[in-house]
Amino acid sequence: MLSIHNTKCECGHQNAVGTVLCESCGKPLMEDQQQNEPLEMRYDGIARRSQKKNQNLIDRIWSFFSSVKIAIYLIVLTFLGATLGTIYPQENTFINNFDIAAYYESTYGTPGKIYQMLGLSHTYESWWFITLLVMIGTSLVICSLDRILPLYRALSKQQIRKHLQFINRQKTVYSAKVDEPAEAWVEQFAAQLKRKRYRVHMDGSALLAEKNRFSRWGPYINHIGLILFLLSILARSLPGWQMDSYITIADGATVPIEGTNYYVKNEKFTVDFYTDDELPPELKGQARAKLYETAAVLYTCSSGCEAGETPVLEEVARHDIIVNSPLKYKGLKLYQFDFDLTPKLISVKPMLINKETGEQYGPFELTMKDAALNYELGPYKMRLIANYMDFAVGENGEPTTLGREPNAPAFVFLITGPGLPEAGQPYMYFPMQKDKEKFGQDQINGALASKVEIKVDGMQNVNFSEASTSLNVRVDKALNFVWVGAAISMIGLLMGSYWQHRRIWLRIDDGQLSLGAHTNKNWYGMRADVAGALQKIGVTVDPKSLDNGGNNA
Amino acid sequence: MSLVDLSSDAFIAAFFLYCFAFLFYVIAIAGKKWSNRDPFQHEKRWGRIAFITSSLGLAAHLTFFFTRWAGSGQIPTSNMYEFMTFLGMAIMIAFTIIYAIYRKALLGMFSLPLTVIIVAYASVFPQEVQPLIPALNSIWLKVHVTTAALGEAFFAVGFAAGLMYLLRVVDFNSETKEARRSRFWVEFSLYTIIIIIGFLVAVFGFRAAGYEAQFSQEMSTVDAKGIESSKVETVDYTLPPIVKPYNSEVVHADSFLGMTDTKLEAPSWMNGVNAGRKLNTVIWSIIAGTILYGLLRLVFRKPLGAVIHPVMEGVDPDDLDEISYRAIAIGFPIFTLGALIFAMIWANIAWGRFWGWDPKEVWALISWLYYSAYLHFRLSRGWQGLRSSWLAVIGFVVILFTLVGVNLVIAGLHSYAGTN
Repeated sequence: MLSIHNTKCECGHQNAVGTVLCESCGKPLMEDQQQNEPLEMRYDGIARRSQKKNQNLIDRIWSFFSSVKIAIYLIVLTFLGATLGTIYPQENTFINNFDIAAYYESTYGTPGKIYQMLGLSHTYESWWFITLLVMIGTSLVICSLDRILPLYRALSKQQIRKHLQFINRQKTVYSAKVDEPAEAWVEQFAAQLKRKRYRVHMDGSALLAEKNRFSRWGPYINHIGLILFLLSILARSLPGWQMDSYITIADGATVPIEGTNYYVKNEKFTVDFYTDDELPPELKGQARAKLYETAAVLYTCSSGCEAGETPVLEEVARHDIIVNSPLKYKGLKLYQFDFDLTPKLISVKPMLINKETGEQYGPFELTMKDAALNYELGPYKMRLIANYMDFAVGENGEPTTLGREPNAPAFVFLITGPGLPEAGQPYMYFPMQKDKEKFGQDQINGALASKVEIKVDGMQNVNFSEASTSLNVRVDKALNFVWVGAAISMIGLLMGSYWQHRRIWLRIDDGQLSLGAHTNKNWYGMRADVAGALQKIGVTVDPKSLDNGGNNA
Repeated sequence: MSLVDLSSDAFIAAFFLYCFAFLFYVIAIAGKKWSNRDPFQHEKRWGRIAFITSSLGLAAHLTFFFTRWAGSGQIPTSNMYEFMTFLGMAIMIAFTIIYAIYRKALLGMFSLPLTVIIVAYASVFPQEVQPLIPALNSIWLKVHVTTAALGEAFFAVGFAAGLMYLLRVVDFNSETKEARRSRFWVEFSLYTIIIIIGFLVAVFGFRAAGYEAQFSQEMSTVDAKGIESSKVETVDYTLPPIVKPYNSEVVHADSFLGMTDTKLEAPSWMNGVNAGRKLNTVIWSIIAGTILYGLLRLVFRKPLGAVIHPVMEGVDPDDLDEISYRAIAIGFPIFTLGALIFAMIWANIAWGRFWGWDPKEVWALISWLYYSAYLHFRLSRGWQGLRSSWLAVIGFVVILFTLVGVNLVIAGLHSYAGTN
């Protein structure tokens, strides 16, 4: 590793192994670059850690991730991989769980089945995709570290008088005979460069002019922003950092947000449609929504918060939630997600009828949600022993419920009273007429059906909500870090894209002017600067003629 | 006359000014070889005329945009017609900025037809003002769509310069394998552009003839709860059916060359809205484009690349390479801001998540990754010039797929932007 003899430049500067251009005078040290071709100026020809010889394992990993070529491969693999996830809808577009495998096969046939089996139905959560993102993150860190420190060092101690080969082998060059005294010419030229906002350093007949060095840090700042962005996405998998759930609330109802101390009330859900006057002829008659709005109130529970108790609620926030305007309270956000305009039963006030005598008892209030367990009606006593909000008959003939929404509510009471066994007899009650017929309430209750009946008398005893709203409940603690990362990345991007680091070196040796200029981007502008400054001191050159060939980096 | 009507007139004026500007740019470049003139003076003079005309076109286009905005009370970027006209306008803005830096009349010869095609493509879609649905009613509609489109417009100029580079450097005399392959792909790129023109010819041709056909399609859908339901929808065709919608019956079809029905059905796996009609349109575009291409070959009796190549002589390929790179480098931060950052901010406000892997989002990310790969490639030796130009050309294909293709073949949250 200590190969001193071949890294010492003729100017006496000791360079690190892997240095392409002497850090001090700029003389090319690697002679594999063909003579007289423009120099490879990337990172000012500095030596980087990744170029170390005799590498151990860590060095090899470092070298691997510090390579721009590897970074490009990773980017390309990532976007090719990402395309796969757009072939069919991803699993996360389905909110309720159902048989996903069957869905892909029945909807898309064999290709769909293969797609699902390969795990492409959750491409963006798959191990290989996450691995690619982590590798890109690693590459961002190592690429930046590998270059930024040596580059910073090289740029902060630049020599003014550079080696002639260094100057003459730049991509933008100019040489001519100067008749005036060298130092006077340099002074004159320096004045023009200063007017172009260059910072000029002079050393007798040699000059270094530089501007917008800060733009060199742009890409690194951009990368730091991206790293922060990726890290904050990873942080979202920390417990408690993220919450994403859905609640459905009928008009007027108040429901708890599970896993929190909050309750939300939907005071009123409104949907507005455009009137025909507001629609162009082609769309008239269509129900084009104009506004969905949930008048929501957020409460915290101060006592009695356990299940079965009556919670004491305190209002903390109130907001008319519309799409694009969520309710926000201390990191909790409620978004308008969906709505349902089918009426939902809230409560009924039925009577209990003794069918043999015709006597009626009640009415009693039966709420769909949190119904009371015991009822006393005249000589009868009823105990609620089961309820099903969305009644269905299961595979084994067992009664079951399809969900928690009262789409087809059913209640089972244990009734005791005159003419009934002492232990009581179960009675099944469907508040909705359609369900009563569909599921055959009388058949289920058998002989009991001819003794007693629970019945609602008239619509005035039915209480239902006209609409219900679905809200998306979100907590995302990583969000602020995401925005900070994006902002830093954007600042770096702007710095690196809209400003360029331009440098001009020149020296006059015995009346012979040699000028070389370098920029990291926009050679057109670089040439225009040189030609413009020369023009001002009476030297006319075509900017294009300054080009020494080579690549537009 | 209402503001919206005035705006339509301004749009037509812009379209014709662009067409004339294109003509003048062609004269500026191709006319250099005409006798009795100084080529340099000729290019300067006609270049100026062309630039004034295209700037007037842009002024008319801006008039269209702002009067429509004032007349309808909402920014005209909310449906496919409005978005595409805006993209055309953004390309002209990007072109004007790049032209101001480099002053190459040749750039106009390639950017103007791109604008003309995009503006004509916009006119395919229904043009009436559609009131906003709640999801779009946000300040971020203005901010996100306009910045994203401007970024894409710079990529479009980068594409135009890249294509010019290819036409300039591809060797039309050599018979090496390399040269033949390059020629083939350059010709293929031109053929693809002509297919898009073919699409426009087919759509406007049959629209002028008043062609109509109607199908009833039985659609089965599976909702979020996994419950399957089916409904019958009618699908209107404005091009004669070669392919009918999947699982459909003809209701009525005007006769075209005696055809009133077709046996071919669109495959079931095409999920987009009106996939059958779109596939039919694509087939018609290919037919019309191929006929058009064949006619052009008959007229010139050589590949189109070889027709354009001589015009490019005397242009420095390094300049084209530089312009292409610079346009993309200018567009990249704007695209990042508009298509990703502003999009994430809006998604977070509207949907409660800043990123949801919706196909449109994914494709915006793919475009961004593609162009970041491009920018990193530029740092590597051997990736300037030819390869970089190919990347610029392919990149714009990726952008077009993101803008149009995603809506055409993949359904998702951005499907409001109805396509034909």
